[in-house]
Amino acid sequence: MFNKRTLAIIKRELKMKLFSKSFILMTLLVPLFMIGIFSIQYFVQSMAGEQRSDLIIISDSDEILNKVQNEIFQTSAFKSGDLITRTEKTELSDFTSKLNEIKPDIIAQRITGVVFIPSSSLQSKGVEYYSSNPNNSSLFYKIKPSINKALVEIYFAGKLLTEDEIKFARKDVEINGFRVSSDEKVAEEGYGNRIAMVLFSFLLYMALIFSGSMTMNAVVEEKSNKIVEVLLSSASSTELMAGKILGTVIVEVLQMAIWLSPIVLLISTSWFFIPPEFMPQMSFGFILYFLFNYTLALITYVALYATVGAIFDNPQDAQSGVWPLLMLIMIPFFIALGMEANAQSSLAQIASLFPFSSLIVMPARMILVEVPLWQILLSCAINIIVLIGIFKLAGKIYRIGILLTGKKPKWSEVFGWLKMSS
Amino acid sequence: MNVLEVKNLTKRFNGITAVDKASFSVTEGSVFGLIGRNGAGKTTTIRMMLNIYFPDEGEVLFKGAKIEQDFKDSVGYLPEERGLYKKMKVIDMLLFLAELKGKRGSEVNKSALQYLERFDLADRKNSKVEDLSKGNQQKIQFISTVLHDPDLLIFDEPFSGLDPINTNLLKEIILEMKNKSKVVIFSTHLMEFAEKMCDSIAMIDKGKIILNGKLSEIKEKYAIKNVSLNYQGSLSFLNNNPMIESIEDFGNTTGIKLKNENSDQELLKLLMANNISIKKFNVDEISLHEIFILLAGKEIENV
Repeated sequence: MFNKRTLAIIKRELKMKLFSKSFILMTLLVPLFMIGIFSIQYFVQSMAGEQRSDLIIISDSDEILNKVQNEIFQTSAFKSGDLITRTEKTELSDFTSKLNEIKPDIIAQRITGVVFIPSSSLQSKGVEYYSSNPNNSSLFYKIKPSINKALVEIYFAGKLLTEDEIKFARKDVEINGFRVSSDEKVAEEGYGNRIAMVLFSFLLYMALIFSGSMTMNAVVEEKSNKIVEVLLSSASSTELMAGKILGTVIVEVLQMAIWLSPIVLLISTSWFFIPPEFMPQMSFGFILYFLFNYTLALITYVALYATVGAIFDNPQDAQSGVWPLLMLIMIPFFIALGMEANAQSSLAQIASLFPFSSLIVMPARMILVEVPLWQILLSCAINIIVLIGIFKLAGKIYRIGILLTGKKPKWSEVFGWLKMSS
Repeated sequence: MNVLEVKNLTKRFNGITAVDKASFSVTEGSVFGLIGRNGAGKTTTIRMMLNIYFPDEGEVLFKGAKIEQDFKDSVGYLPEERGLYKKMKVIDMLLFLAELKGKRGSEVNKSALQYLERFDLADRKNSKVEDLSKGNQQKIQFISTVLHDPDLLIFDEPFSGLDPINTNLLKEIILEMKNKSKVVIFSTHLMEFAEKMCDSIAMIDKGKIILNGKLSEIKEKYAIKNVSLNYQGSLSFLNNNPMIESIEDFGNTTGIKLKNENSDQELLKLLMANNISIKKFNVDEISLHEIFILLAGKEIENV
């Protein structure tokens, strides 16, 4: 399989891809794109906080109203003018009619909403919020501490407690995560690894779909512009497929290495300063593993994409045939993202060993928790076995499909090809 | 000496036999035609000869040995449906295809430039293939077929889609290769080309070889007692004439098979006596087209 012909095809792929505008653009644009996505999220969140909120606080208790208003006056949101509140005392029985009176203002968005703090909240801490947007977490973030403080202080006012005791009672529990590693070291865990997990999973997801689609389109193009028969008069279909896939894999791994180089510099040098809670805890070994795993993933998925390309002779049909592959990449990607809640759940463990999903889930899991070595080795072994199987199956389908044109083949026919000699 | 031997090649697709026990051989320094209508099995036979398809049965021998992957290095192939990488530069395209055949370095580079010079494309060597006219792209395809100096050239329907200039160019290439003692095999459904260029032929119909041998011997065999006629008028008076064995209308010409070798002059007199306006009267001549229809039984479609 590896001979002068495969080498010639790999060389052509490298020459055409490495010096292409799209490679240079992608290499530069993807990091910018990633930064862009995180920045957009940050921007949207900060924009949500900056929006001016105009609230009416209603209660049947003057004491609650005064205390809450006093606390709100001390918030930075109030001081900067982002939060405006006024209070209205209303008896419980009149609240419904009061609300009806305010409803038009809520609907017309003349006011942001109504916060109803009945005196019963001194027992239940139950507060109601009426608005056209009742899920405004950035607003809750601004007013919740003030309301909580007011209620706690009123509750404990007659109970002869010191201010420190009240402060303690008001405080929420904070859980700080400490990573205990197999070398018995203990280190405080920040957000760094969670951010890194999302970043790495997203890179993997995007790079696989992108390089797969590129290869598929290139194969469809070779088929539709008829050069494939010229190539097959020199090389075998296996040599052709192997050359194309390996050429693509070398280019993509190189690109990934370029993308990861800032992270390598970040973890191995002190050239950059980022706050410790955002600093990912990962080793250089993990980066090497990630590249190795990426190579396996690329060969597996690019082979599958190339096969889909070989089945169809135009890009439209090929797009319709590619959805099973998209599922094979998307489902593990979402499992990986969901692992943020618990990377040791049984689903996470199974998915990190299961064929195909392991390629995306295992690296994500390794960022979040320390995965036993046997699981890493087992997943590598499973992935290599699957890769060899896929390569053989893909080679058979590719060999038959690559010269067939005309009618769009049915999946049953494609499975039939596996039984044919060629 | 037989350079290439095709023995009992059979290929089935989904239960349909595309090529059925095809056998023929090609001698050194000859031009060989694989002739048949569209869909007869020519391309499938050629693909098996090139190891692109694995045959279900049979084998192909080149210089006495069964063909392997490396055999492809000594073949230049011009498929019926041609294509190039549109985004590649002309010179890179040629050198890439030569490298696939195991030829690289300054010699092949020099040879590529010589061919480009000869085909008036030297100034386009750094152009992208897609920027060339269709005719010039065909020239690049011809060059890529011969650049690696193959011993065996296989052209599948080489004349389809060619303009007159490129048709002549290709004929020139074929004859040049023949003069260099290379083996040239081409498939065609155009009988007149085969007739003019081939030393030997194999006729294929519905996947089966129905005729095989030297063109001169085949024509000699089928031409005896045959009169090839172009005329105006009605030949109905010849029906049931005792000296005539059969009359076949081939469209452009009519073939009259005589029972007796010496009755051609009698036939000519009879035609003139019946006021037939004779444009051509050839004794003991038969075209490949006529032979094909005699054997395959149906008119070959001209595309």
